[in-house]
Amino acid sequence: MMYAIPFHHMIVGLSAGAGTLMGICAFLAWLSNRVSNLESSKSTLDKASYAASILTLVTLPLAMFSGYYSVSDPTGSAIFYNKFIFSGIAIGFTSSYIAGRIRYGAEIWDHPALANLQMLSALFGLTSIMILGSIGSKITLGESTLDILPFWPEFMNSIVINQWVSLFLVIIGVSSVIISFKMMDSSNKSQI
Amino acid sequence: MKSRIIVLSIILTLLLATSSGVANPGGKGDSNRDFTCGGSCHGDPSLSSPSPAEIQIDMKSTAFSGTATEVSISVSGMELSNNNLIGIFILGSKNGNNDHPEDYGWQIIQDPNGGTSNYVEIVSSENTVTVSWVLLAPMEEGQKEIFASIQHGSMYNHDNKAFIGETDGFIVNIEPIPENYPTLEEGWVSPDERVSGDSSAIIIRTVNTDSLSVLWRLPGESQSHEASVEMLSDQEWEVSIPATLGDTRIEYQIIASMGEFSNQMPWLSIGTSDPYFDGTSLGAKLQSFSIIMIIFGFMLSLQTWFSPRGVSNLIDNTNEVEETISQQNNDYWSRLIKSDENPGWLWDPVEKEWVDDPNLPRGEQ
Repeated sequence: MMYAIPFHHMIVGLSAGAGTLMGICAFLAWLSNRVSNLESSKSTLDKASYAASILTLVTLPLAMFSGYYSVSDPTGSAIFYNKFIFSGIAIGFTSSYIAGRIRYGAEIWDHPALANLQMLSALFGLTSIMILGSIGSKITLGESTLDILPFWPEFMNSIVINQWVSLFLVIIGVSSVIISFKMMDSSNKSQI
Repeated sequence: MKSRIIVLSIILTLLLATSSGVANPGGKGDSNRDFTCGGSCHGDPSLSSPSPAEIQIDMKSTAFSGTATEVSISVSGMELSNNNLIGIFILGSKNGNNDHPEDYGWQIIQDPNGGTSNYVEIVSSENTVTVSWVLLAPMEEGQKEIFASIQHGSMYNHDNKAFIGETDGFIVNIEPIPENYPTLEEGWVSPDERVSGDSSAIIIRTVNTDSLSVLWRLPGESQSHEASVEMLSDQEWEVSIPATLGDTRIEYQIIASMGEFSNQMPWLSIGTSDPYFDGTSLGAKLQSFSIIMIIFGFMLSLQTWFSPRGVSNLIDNTNEVEETISQQNNDYWSRLIKSDENPGWLWDPVEKEWVDDPNLPRGEQ
């Protein structure tokens, strides 16, 4: 597709920026329960993180879509395949973060266990986006800034699951989401 | 007047539609090419310049028809551009068309990069390059010529010219093949590469050969090792050469024998390609979607698990809202005053207005 590459560059920049804002603000909002100086900014950090997570969730699928059309063989090697996998991880954690924020509102940060979970969702989402950026840099430039880390993998290998097994996993995943929503309903009813 | 404008517009459009003429400073890859053209306009004297390089062809001046022979081309004394790229041709003539050695009966078994092209591109950080082609000599006897040509850029090349070099023909006498001369079958070519870690055997087809031995070595290794050879059928041999990893090119030499006479052929090589990746587009999408769903479901479950009592319905304030509305209604109706003068109406002292009495509609007066 003719304009896929410049569009991909633009949308990747947006998703990386939004993902970073989401991760950092969520971490600071979580930290505000422990650091008194941050307490007054808690509401602002929560709102910024929430807005950034929504933008991240919008831009990540667009980045996947444009990236798919930017190369001639988008799944022809392990490094391209890994982009799909880490995009899935990033979207999974980002949507979990948004779901948590919608369910419990800004008060989620007042409950330690939920706040920990929310912060971890945002940080895992951010880490996945960093890995995606690193892989993209490897593909286009042949190197990544994160190569300076001694433990940073090259992502030249991937775990390829058979299509039927993937389909089975999709069914399990959808079932687990439905069951989770049912659990939410029953939990709410028992409390009412 | 109108037609002139149309014609001028068409000419202008055509002029704007043309792309700027550029050469291929990054090369165009190995391929089969004729002299001068080389995929660009290098033959044009205004766009090219003679290369200062010295080109030398080394090969045996005599070859038996249909047998393997090696052609070495050494290039020295050139100044390459920043990318250190040089293109080298092996040619059967310098006519500008039908110059491929195969047009003169030669057959390329292997080029310096492992393929079967007459034009290869080499990256060299030094100003000397030596490359070798392995050819099968023509079946037709007599004198044949082999030419070499080069093209390259230069570090100090303000006019963006292509530097062209060429040799005179190297004359090779093609002699009749001795009776029962052991050699390779016509049409057989060396495999270009094997997948990393693949140790599958190479099939070699020969003529007039009753025994075959193959030596192999790694690049830069002085000592060669003997490969295991198994005869599959008459003149067909299976050779086991160790698997390679990474960018390694393993070299091997075929020695075909008939009785006491042996024909030791030039060294050939096989490259190593990346392992085959069996991921598919649909598989990647399904795997990605399944990961999204599993993570989302898992995190939702954890949120429910960690949710303390009273938190999950924090934003469900329906009961509170309903109670508030009910209280407001009670307050409103309790302040309304009945009037005997106006039955069916209630007086609101706050809003100072008459309101319908729901208990006594006006129609029942």
